[in-house]
Amino acid sequence: MIKVLVAKPGLDGHDRGAKVIARALRDAGMEVIYTGIRQTPEQIVQTAIDEDVDVVGISILSGAHMKLIPRILELLKQNNSNVAVFVGGIIPEEDAAELKKLGVIEVYGPGTPLSTIVEGIKGYFEHANV
Amino acid sequence: MQMSESQILEGIRSGDRRAFAKLLSICEDDPERAVHLISRLEKRTAHVIGITGSPGVGKSSLINAILDNSDDKKLGVIAVDPSSPFTGGALLGDRIRMQSHATSENFFIRSFASRGALGGLSPSIFEACDAFETFGVDSIFIETVGVGQSDVEIANVADTVIVLLSPDGGDEIQMMKAGLMEIGDIFVINKSDNPMSKALFSKLKSILEMGKKDIPIFLTNCITGEGIKDLVKALDERFSLILKNGSLVEKRKKRMAGHAQAILRKKIDEVLRTIETDRLNLEEIEKTVLRKICDKL
Repeated sequence: MIKVLVAKPGLDGHDRGAKVIARALRDAGMEVIYTGIRQTPEQIVQTAIDEDVDVVGISILSGAHMKLIPRILELLKQNNSNVAVFVGGIIPEEDAAELKKLGVIEVYGPGTPLSTIVEGIKGYFEHANV
Repeated sequence: MQMSESQILEGIRSGDRRAFAKLLSICEDDPERAVHLISRLEKRTAHVIGITGSPGVGKSSLINAILDNSDDKKLGVIAVDPSSPFTGGALLGDRIRMQSHATSENFFIRSFASRGALGGLSPSIFEACDAFETFGVDSIFIETVGVGQSDVEIANVADTVIVLLSPDGGDEIQMMKAGLMEIGDIFVINKSDNPMSKALFSKLKSILEMGKKDIPIFLTNCITGEGIKDLVKALDERFSLILKNGSLVEKRKKRMAGHAQAILRKKIDEVLRTIETDRLNLEEIEKTVLRKICDKL
């Protein structure tokens, strides 16, 4: 059973995308926790640890991704967590590359088919052997 | 990062949340192993409080309001939401109402999927409660799925059951039906800003009086916090009372029987899955299952 936290950091309140993803992952047989909008990196990381999730899926459209996501990665590291981080939202290509260097597994932009995201997560666990 | 059993045990003894979170995952994935681990830890009796009521009545919000008024206590929350019978997936959304407490050191909130269990709880609910008692919490709040009138399994698990109602929930005949309305130790009418809540209060009062038991009713508003302090006080008083008058001991005995029943049901289900039921008639299935269960001894 893959357990996922769908998290929405920062100040933008547009969570249609996060909800669509949460629903798609549920329908793919995963247990999905959705914590709503305007979460701080601290809340996201503590929730990921307390819920012992395998994946954190971060949805962000506000443009603050280069501040918030590295902070989340850093807090996860401080807490000895090896949870897999996926990102979705409006992320310019060069930023996506930078985030992946920092440890994000994959970055999905607008228009990505849901099946690609489901397979991306499932595939990660099949190959990573975690 | 994977943790070894000794790391988990040591971690829990020193209050490490990550170790405790791993123990809860073991409760879900391998309850037998969890029971073994829990037996190696010190346990302290906590007040197990079940909160049940229809979807949308305000169960998560009530827990959040109680957390708002419990700064000095260490509390655990078990929030159960339904798993899909088709895909096994689940959307666990109870935490949304409690996220302002996500980083509180004194509170530990954990979501559970019902994973096919009937009665509105998780198949690992007994192990999860025992696990929380190893983490030194004062009270454990269990939020049931909230499917409605048959959501009564919680009475086998909790020391105190709160039945939560809201003024938009139907007429008094609904309240006279068997099941949910019989298991409440405390009734709470939420959304007290709705004028209809006063009418519901008096109707409920007269119906509970028919049962000749003195069951308290509280009116709450989880947004303003109105009525919550009185409820928290009543819960504390009730816990002292049931500790003193021996009914907690009785409840825990009943819980153990419930736990045994849950384990046995799971074993029967496991055996059933190994049998090719389409080739047998009803009697043959029954006999085969019984025989296989006996072989396990």
